[in-house]
Amino acid sequence: MNRIELTVLPQKPLPNKVRAFGFSNGLHFRGPLLLVLCAMLFVVSCNSDDDGGGDPMDDFDRAAMLENVGTNIIIPRYEAMEEATTMLLATAQLFEQGPDEVKLNALQDAWKNTAIAWQSCSPFEFGPASDQLLRTSVNTFPTNQMQIQSNIASGNYDLTTANNIDAQGLPALDYLLFGLGTTDAEIVSFYTTNASSPQFKQYLLDLVTAIDTKVRFVNTSWPSTYLAEFKSNTGTDVGSSLGFLVNELNFDYELIKTAKVGIPLGKKTLGIAQPEKVEAFYSGISAELALASFRGIEQLYRGMDAKGNNGLGLDDHLSSLGAKYNGGSLVEAIDAQLALVASTLAPVPDPLSATIQNSPNTVDAAYTELQKMIVLFKTDMPSALGVLITYQDNDGD
Amino acid sequence: MGTNHSYYRWLTQSTSIAPLVTFRVLFGAIMAISMVRFISKGWVSEMYVDPLYYFTYTGFEWVQPLGEWGMYSLFALLTLSAIAIMLGFYYRWAATAFFLGFTYVELIDKTNYLNHYYFVSILAFLLILLPAHRLFSLDVWQQRVQPLQFVPRWTVTTIQLQLGLVYFFAGLAKLNPDWMLHAMPLAIWLPAHADFPLIGGLFALPETAYVFSWFGALYDLSIPFLLLWGRTRVLAYFMVVAFHVMTALLFPIGMFPYIMLLATLIFFSPQWHQSVLQKAARFFKQNPFAGTATSGSHVSLWTQRIILPLLALHFIIQLLLPLRFLAYEGPLFWTEQGYRFSWRVMLMEKAGYVTFHITDPKTQRSGEATVSDYLTPNQEKMMATQPDMIWQFAQFLETEYQRQGIADAEVRAEAYVTLNGSGSRPFTDPAVDLTKEAQLASNYSWILPFEL
Repeated sequence: MNRIELTVLPQKPLPNKVRAFGFSNGLHFRGPLLLVLCAMLFVVSCNSDDDGGGDPMDDFDRAAMLENVGTNIIIPRYEAMEEATTMLLATAQLFEQGPDEVKLNALQDAWKNTAIAWQSCSPFEFGPASDQLLRTSVNTFPTNQMQIQSNIASGNYDLTTANNIDAQGLPALDYLLFGLGTTDAEIVSFYTTNASSPQFKQYLLDLVTAIDTKVRFVNTSWPSTYLAEFKSNTGTDVGSSLGFLVNELNFDYELIKTAKVGIPLGKKTLGIAQPEKVEAFYSGISAELALASFRGIEQLYRGMDAKGNNGLGLDDHLSSLGAKYNGGSLVEAIDAQLALVASTLAPVPDPLSATIQNSPNTVDAAYTELQKMIVLFKTDMPSALGVLITYQDNDGD
Repeated sequence: MGTNHSYYRWLTQSTSIAPLVTFRVLFGAIMAISMVRFISKGWVSEMYVDPLYYFTYTGFEWVQPLGEWGMYSLFALLTLSAIAIMLGFYYRWAATAFFLGFTYVELIDKTNYLNHYYFVSILAFLLILLPAHRLFSLDVWQQRVQPLQFVPRWTVTTIQLQLGLVYFFAGLAKLNPDWMLHAMPLAIWLPAHADFPLIGGLFALPETAYVFSWFGALYDLSIPFLLLWGRTRVLAYFMVVAFHVMTALLFPIGMFPYIMLLATLIFFSPQWHQSVLQKAARFFKQNPFAGTATSGSHVSLWTQRIILPLLALHFIIQLLLPLRFLAYEGPLFWTEQGYRFSWRVMLMEKAGYVTFHITDPKTQRSGEATVSDYLTPNQEKMMATQPDMIWQFAQFLETEYQRQGIADAEVRAEAYVTLNGSGSRPFTDPAVDLTKEAQLASNYSWILPFEL
């Protein structure tokens, strides 16, 4: 076997400890360092010239924005939601004790108020709401009639199991309060003369109580514990408050576009409309809820409270960053698109399920604008804010 | 041939095995940690078990996930082989197993492509060829191999050259107008860290993004040379530390900075490595350099005649791959043709949104695909900005609709992408039926121009 000629490694004596670590002559370093320093100075001086000294980013206080969003938007919205569920529970209890048409109407009204209040809480599925799986338990639609009927028939059900996800919450109540019959008298009969009326009453009350309990928990947790964490978590990574806001705003916005409008319109079924898949099919207030949801997201984006006071919001953050959109400003582009969505969504009449069949073009116009809006919300906004659009934690490079 | 010959002599000169040995130990250790971290974050399930669809690489469609049990076993094997590399325990087998296993995992889904995973694959491949276990290893201790004091210089140079190429190409890639003249994407990313302790205020300044961009480019281009040269090595290593610590603090890039911090130690002198090993050996009450014949031979010429050409081929490929983008019309950042496997790191803030429109040619009815039924949020996000993945998914949708009874469905992509703060703009031609487009088209005609 051939062998390589060996050259003995130059084993110079190591004069001192420093050299033992290979740091020989380490301090005789000048040229490249000077180069780097010069380049830095050059860049800094060049850049501050054409920038005119105006620094748009200095003045944005993200903690103050989170403070505004948490204190003036999220907490009041949950408070309003709890008021609504408290009323819902009270009217449901009255109805349960002696069902009649008057009490049914009161309960139906309380349900509508709750459904509308819910729309503005739906984008906050993080922190305590996420712990409670609030969005899934309160508003998974379309509801599952078969599952509801089988739960009532058996009288034996666990609302926390996965197969009961679409047999509870506001959509299930929509069915139980509006969909059991065509007249109020017919609906009331399920709670009075029907052979299973005790089970119907019990199921109704169980659903209302479940919503109320979860909402109460979240509404209590926000000011007492979560608000402080929300305000102090000022980063932009996955799990930061800004990350949550932007991601959940987008998730909720996609619900309007896809679940509330697109799917019933037939966007996922090659144009074959599925009007029965609208939110609030039985009460027929789907378009009203979609608009309420959109308004809730719009106000959240603007940092605006229920009284219309405009505080620090995502729009202000984008302005402070000087975010651009094809030559113009991103904030202006978003404003313009928000106006287009509002102007096409607001005229869509209820019941949406009928409008989809009678006048699909009206709904389609709204869908088109909703679709354009999502590009700005889901690509431009997070990109400008430096927020990762993801619901998953992972490495980048 | 004369120069060739002297270059060959230079490559085959003897040098201490110590740098190679430290490299082996550190690489094995950091890989073992990386694997455990990957498993504990739940990523094995998230990336390789839960998805219903995987974006395979052309020619590697056969690389499929192995199921939950299989994937976790594979990661366990990877962890164990990394530990075996560290210990020098059946080293060549361990390095081979690690290389094959790791590369297999990376080839399952383009979604998860990261330059540093590619880098790890390459290092593992190189380690198979290098005698890094011939000292300070269980293989020596248990007398499976003869200990070596000296190895031919090419064994150490190989790793140095590979590291140098990574840095240098990363630096070259930064020499583009976005990075140098507009400080993009750092001008977007740094202000997001304005809440950083102490120096956060600096990140809000536009100047900082320029300083970081220019320093980053200079760093990448010069660091291999500064590390090679003894006089600048100490300062260069301080720069390595500062650079990678900074990136670790600011960006979600996982283990990469730590891998680089350890890997660049290969540039330190043999004496330094010897003293490190001696200190480490004292812990085991052993002298790694005792009892071995200092004049003993190392790698046989016979072996070198196989390995050296193999390495030459490897480095030719390494030189050409990052340049293949020149064969396409580009613009590179927009079309990403020839983007991967080229050490282009942190160059783009790119985000997109894609809708797939499906048309049944028979009824002319149209609708949208529900992408989230098939893809994880992360896959959806990665696909939205990468044309080859959009194309790939369009083909999948055609077969999926076929399964649902719609023959020859037309699939069109309507995508919008924002690149380095440009603002979202149309990315794909929504009129083109992607199922009729060829994958290997040298330029995708259905990508709309970046300039408006």
